[in-house]
Amino acid sequence: MKPFAARGGLRVNPMTRRLAGHLARGLVMIWVVTTISFVIIRNIPGNPVLGQYETLIERGMSPDAAERATAALYGFLPTGTLWEQYTGYMKALLHLDLGQSLSTPGTEVVTLIGSATKWTVLPVLGGTLLSFVLGVTLGVYAGIKRSGKLGDLLSISGSLLHGVPQYVIGLLVLAIFTTLWPIFPAGGPVDVEFVPGLNAGYLASLVQHATLPVLTYALASYGGWVLAMKSSVATVLGDDFILAAELRGLSRGVLFRYVARNAILPLFTILALSLGMLFGGAIFIERIFNYPGLGLLLVNSIGTRDYALMGGTFLVTTMAIIVANIAADLFYAVIDPRVRTGGAA
Amino acid sequence: MTVTTILPGSPGNTGATLRRNFWRGVGRVLRRKPSRIAGVGIVALFGAMALFGPMLYPAHLPRDNNALYAAPSLAHPFGTDFEGTDVLALVVTGSRYVILTGLATAVITVALGTALGLLAGFHRGRWDTVLMRITDMQLTIPGLPLLLVLSTIWKFQGPLEMGLVLGLLGWGGVARAVRSQTLSLRERGFIEAARGLGLSTRHIVGRELLPSMAPYIAMNVLIAVTGAIYAQVGLFFLGVLPFDSNNWGVMLNLAVFGGGALTSTAALPYLLAPLLAILLLTLGIVLIVDAMDEIFNPRLREE
Repeated sequence: MKPFAARGGLRVNPMTRRLAGHLARGLVMIWVVTTISFVIIRNIPGNPVLGQYETLIERGMSPDAAERATAALYGFLPTGTLWEQYTGYMKALLHLDLGQSLSTPGTEVVTLIGSATKWTVLPVLGGTLLSFVLGVTLGVYAGIKRSGKLGDLLSISGSLLHGVPQYVIGLLVLAIFTTLWPIFPAGGPVDVEFVPGLNAGYLASLVQHATLPVLTYALASYGGWVLAMKSSVATVLGDDFILAAELRGLSRGVLFRYVARNAILPLFTILALSLGMLFGGAIFIERIFNYPGLGLLLVNSIGTRDYALMGGTFLVTTMAIIVANIAADLFYAVIDPRVRTGGAA
Repeated sequence: MTVTTILPGSPGNTGATLRRNFWRGVGRVLRRKPSRIAGVGIVALFGAMALFGPMLYPAHLPRDNNALYAAPSLAHPFGTDFEGTDVLALVVTGSRYVILTGLATAVITVALGTALGLLAGFHRGRWDTVLMRITDMQLTIPGLPLLLVLSTIWKFQGPLEMGLVLGLLGWGGVARAVRSQTLSLRERGFIEAARGLGLSTRHIVGRELLPSMAPYIAMNVLIAVTGAIYAQVGLFFLGVLPFDSNNWGVMLNLAVFGGGALTSTAALPYLLAPLLAILLLTLGIVLIVDAMDEIFNPRLREE
C-alpha cells in the first residue's frame, strides 16, 4: 500500500511528503515563469532597458547615475553580460523588487500591483462563490434527471454559458444594463465624489459598480459548475454503494445526500483552481467594465509599453495560479480521506 | 498466412464494415436529437461563410457617409458601422480570418497532441514524465496573460501565424487527454489480444488504438479550436494586436472603445452582430460536442 514507507525504515508522513513535492514543483514553476518574464523583457524589440539608459545619458546624466536610475526602473542593470543581468533580476525579485513603473513615474510596481489586487479579488470571490452555489445545486438536478426536459435545458444552457467566452457575456451584460436599460454605472470601481471609508454613499457606490462585473463572473463560471457537477453525479450514481443504498431501501432524501456529498468532492479542487485562474481571466471583464484590477493593469501596461509593470503583473498572476494549484491539491487531500491514506502521488 | 484464414474476410473488408458501423452510429446519435443536426448545419454554414463569404464582396467594402450607424434595414440587415460600412458584410468577410486561425490551431493541436499523448501513454517511462511536466507547465501558466505579454515581442502576422502560436501554446490539453485514454485502452482485452497475435506496434497504434480514440480526440480538438477562436477574437478586442485586417475582434474593439456603440441604442447592432456570430458558432460547436460525447461515452446514453 505504501511503498515509500517500507523502504529504509524512514517513515514519512504521506501528507508531509505530498506537501514537499508540491512546494518543490511550485518553486520550479515559479523559477520558470520568472525566467520567461526576464527573457521577454530582455527581448522586446529595441531593448527598452538599454534604450532608457541611453536616453538618460543623452539627457546629460552621468553613466553611473543613468545606470542606477535604469536599474531602479527594471530591477536589473542595463549593462553587463546577460548572466549578470539575469542574476541581478533574480536578486531583486527575492527582495520583492519588481522595479518602477514608467507610466506612473516614481511608483513601485509592487505598490501598483498591491492596490490593483483588491479590485480583482473581491469581485472574483463574490462571483465565483455565487456561481458555485447556484451551479452545484442545479448540477445535482441535471445529473439525476439526465433525460428530462428540465435536465436537458440545464445541460444545454450550462454548456452554452460555459462555452461562450467571458467577453461575450461581459459585453452583452454591458449593453443590456448600461445602454438598453441604463440602471447601472458603465465603468470604474466607484464614483469619485464619495470619500473612501465606511460611509453609506461610498459603500453603495462601491456595490453599484461591482454588480455588473460580479454578475458577469457568475454567469461566465456558472455553466462550468453545472456541467462538472452533472458529470460527477453521473459517475457517483454508477457506484456500487448507491445500488446498495437503494437495495437497503433508503429514502430519496438520504440517497440525495449520499450522491451530493460524494459528487461535490472533485468540485472543491476545481473551485480552488478557478479562483487562481480567474486572476488571469479577469482581464476581459476588467477591461470591459474599466475595473482597475490586475487584468486591466496588465492590458494598460502593454498599451503604454510599461515593461516592468507588465512583467510584474504577469508574474503575480501566474504565481497566484501556482499557489492555487498547490492549495487545491492539499485541500483535496484534507477533505477526501481516500486520497490521504491511499495514494502516494 | 494462417492468421488470414482464421479471420473472417480480409482486413480491408473488416475496416470497411467498421467504418460503415461507425457512420451508422453517428447517424443514429444525430437523429436522436434534432438539435444536433442543427449544430452540424450551423458549423457548416460558418465553414461556407469563411470559404465563399469574401468572394461575395469587393476587396474594399463600400462606405456610405450618409448612413453612419444606420439602423437595421433591408439593405443593411445589421445596420452600418461608424464609417457607414454594412455590418453584415464585415461579419461575413471577417469570418475567414477567424476560421482560418481555428483551423491552423486544429492541425497543430491534433498533430502534436495526439502524437505526444500516444508516445507518452504507450511507452510510458521517461518520455511520459517529461511530457507530463511540460503539459503541467502549459496548463498552469495562464494562456491569455502569456499571449498578451508575447504580443509585445511577437507581431502576429496573418491568421495562420496566429493559429500556429495558439496551437503551440494549447496542445497540452489534447496530449493529456490522449495519454490518459491510451493508458486505459492499452490494458483492455482487444489490445492485449492484438499484442498476443504478434501484430506490430504500428498496427496496434494505427488500427486498434487510434480508431477507438478518434471521437475523443475530435471532441478535444473542437474544444481547443473554440478556445483558439475566442482567444484570437479576444486579443483583437483588447486592442493589443495591430489591426491589419477585418475580423470579429477588431469589430468588437472599434464598437466598444472606438465607435461608441454603447452610447446610443441605434449603434448597438454594430456591437451585437459579431457577438451573435460568436454565440451561434459556439452553439453549433456545443451541439456537436454533445453528440460526440455520446458517441464516445455510451454510459451517458441513459436507457
